[in-house]
Amino acid sequence: MTGVLAYLAAVWQVFRKDIQVEWRGRQGIPVMLVFALMIVFLFNFALQLSPDLQAGLAAGLLWVSLAFASTLGLNRSISLERENNALDGLLLAPVDRSAVFFGKALGNFCFTSLVGLLLLPIVSLFYQQNLLRLPLAAVLLLGVAAYTSLGTLLSALSIQARTRDILLPVLLFPLALPILIAAVEATRGLLSGQTLAELSSWVYLILAGALLFNAAGLLFFEIILEE
Amino acid sequence: MNVLKKPILLVILDILTLVLVPAAVVLVVFFTPVEAVMGPVQKVFYFHVSAAWAGMLCFIIGAVTGGAYLLTRRLHWDWLSTSSIEVGLVFALIAILSGMIWARPIWNTWWVWDPRLTTTAIMTLVYLAYFILRSGLNTQETRARLGAVYAIVAVLTVPLTFFSIRLFRTIHPVVIATGGGDGPAFNMSPRMLTALFASLFVFTLMLIDLVWHRYRLAQLQYETSPEVN
Amino acid sequence: MAANPTPYAAHIDIGGLSKRFQHRPVLNGLSLTLNDGDLCILVGDNGAGKTTLLRILAGLVRPSQGEVSVCGSSPIGNPRIRRMIGYVGHQPMVYQDLTARENLVHYARLYGLAKGEEVVADAIAAFNMAGYQHQPVRTLSRGMQQRLSLARATLHNPAILLFDEPHTGLDQEAAAFFDQSLRRLNQPGRIILLAAHRPQRLLTVATHVAWLREGAISDHLPVTALGSAPLLNSYLQEVS
Repeated sequence: MTGVLAYLAAVWQVFRKDIQVEWRGRQGIPVMLVFALMIVFLFNFALQLSPDLQAGLAAGLLWVSLAFASTLGLNRSISLERENNALDGLLLAPVDRSAVFFGKALGNFCFTSLVGLLLLPIVSLFYQQNLLRLPLAAVLLLGVAAYTSLGTLLSALSIQARTRDILLPVLLFPLALPILIAAVEATRGLLSGQTLAELSSWVYLILAGALLFNAAGLLFFEIILEE
Repeated sequence: MNVLKKPILLVILDILTLVLVPAAVVLVVFFTPVEAVMGPVQKVFYFHVSAAWAGMLCFIIGAVTGGAYLLTRRLHWDWLSTSSIEVGLVFALIAILSGMIWARPIWNTWWVWDPRLTTTAIMTLVYLAYFILRSGLNTQETRARLGAVYAIVAVLTVPLTFFSIRLFRTIHPVVIATGGGDGPAFNMSPRMLTALFASLFVFTLMLIDLVWHRYRLAQLQYETSPEVN
Repeated sequence: MAANPTPYAAHIDIGGLSKRFQHRPVLNGLSLTLNDGDLCILVGDNGAGKTTLLRILAGLVRPSQGEVSVCGSSPIGNPRIRRMIGYVGHQPMVYQDLTARENLVHYARLYGLAKGEEVVADAIAAFNMAGYQHQPVRTLSRGMQQRLSLARATLHNPAILLFDEPHTGLDQEAAAFFDQSLRRLNQPGRIILLAAHRPQRLLTVATHVAWLREGAISDHLPVTALGSAPLLNSYLQEVS
């Protein structure tokens, strides 16, 4: 029992430290948000979107901008641990190393979700679509959970490469594509008036992804990081 | 043991493959009937299905042997894992290309964003990224260790691709029809079935042969110049 | 600090340890035993594998072959053993944007230390950091970061202390402070293994010297017995 509590305390502490660093430096969330907005604007001109956007386009716009912006946060989160070799400090801690994975993944989940939730009113405003709905926020959080847990796992792979600064998106996007497609489909369905129950197969696909990627983190994080 | 010496079993397998692959071509071209609706282009189907099967089998072998590496930390498992994935990638590309050749006259387009085609493309991209990952890593041990973890996570795309025609609405034909699936199913004549199973068998032999050769290449590379590996 | 850091007897036992990178052996059949109270200086050329040996003992690197036992268990993937190890590496392992104190509080919590605040306050006093404890790490000098690193590694009162070239980049004053801290940290119930390229100044503090060359320990003897090892002696002359 104390073992479980110590484990959860370590997860919480890794997460808390990430929040603290973000609060001090403010180098993650603002950058991600601005980048996501720039993608939204870029798409507007690249695809000549009209203000009365179709449901499908709004869903795609939301997820593409969020997926790109999130990679910045994921990269930042892991490069923070590379500076001064702080990662070794975490690996030396007397807890199972998967606790580090869950702590980092929790931080990434919170940062990307916050950016996603902030994007909802912004996309709503620009494209006359009401994205401020509870089921849509639920899909957003679930999709981000799957995406960032995979991203956290892969960022631990990518920092060990010579090409670490560019590798993460190349590894992350193909593996995350099924999750992103499901998230876009579910969001599109909600925007065109379907209920969550009607979209359950997409939601289950995202849920399965979230569970599998977290299980992979639990199993493999230690193996990935020990030399 | 002299690794330069080619194992006798591999020689036999080479000969078998060299004889049976042309035999399968002859079988498909002359033995199978021309499909009534689609015409001769339907014959691509036998090799298309076989290549897809071989590719997926390779990816599964890649994940299983990757797991074996993580458990034993013996580089042989990594050679086998990476060889399988490399050969699997070639088969997956053959499956995609042969599918496009079939789709052009039948669907009137080279490509549609159908679930089966999309998931196959995703699977191929995922395994392309596997080689990008490996090429960025410095030591054999790191490549083996991280490659194995990646291969195990990546293999999730194999069931996703295989079952995509059952999970989603699709226009892709269902070959192994077991009740479910919305896609059109083939009604194959006994001769077609025979040819299909023959070509599946031949492709499986070819897969083993190619992976074995690729494995030997990795082994020889290691033995002759371990530093550059 | 408590006189006896852990209920376990501090002990390190390495037998036939090998570690290969790229087919090339860095460590090759290395054996070494260290006992409670030892302060052993690990000498050897750059690239001899000193860092690798320390990282294996800290549970950061997995050995290719051989037995490693730290206080009776293998350190590979073993949180219980990690609890007994303090490791000071080349880098301070702290976060640039946090203050010195915040970094220590972070580690105290990560190690699940009861009375974490108290422990941190003690460490700040012990390593003379009160003057800059509220400054972000990125504004600290190398010497200050070194003290922070020492405080970080000893917060949980480890039975095994591993130092990797701790004098690198320190000025005279900071080096003297380190030597003083080392004397204080050297107490019964603890093993200190310190890798040093130029060990001369440490020979007055150390109890033992181990010479790592060609992937193995060629000599391991008490400092008092150095006279009986002419080869090691001339090596020590050469690098000083």
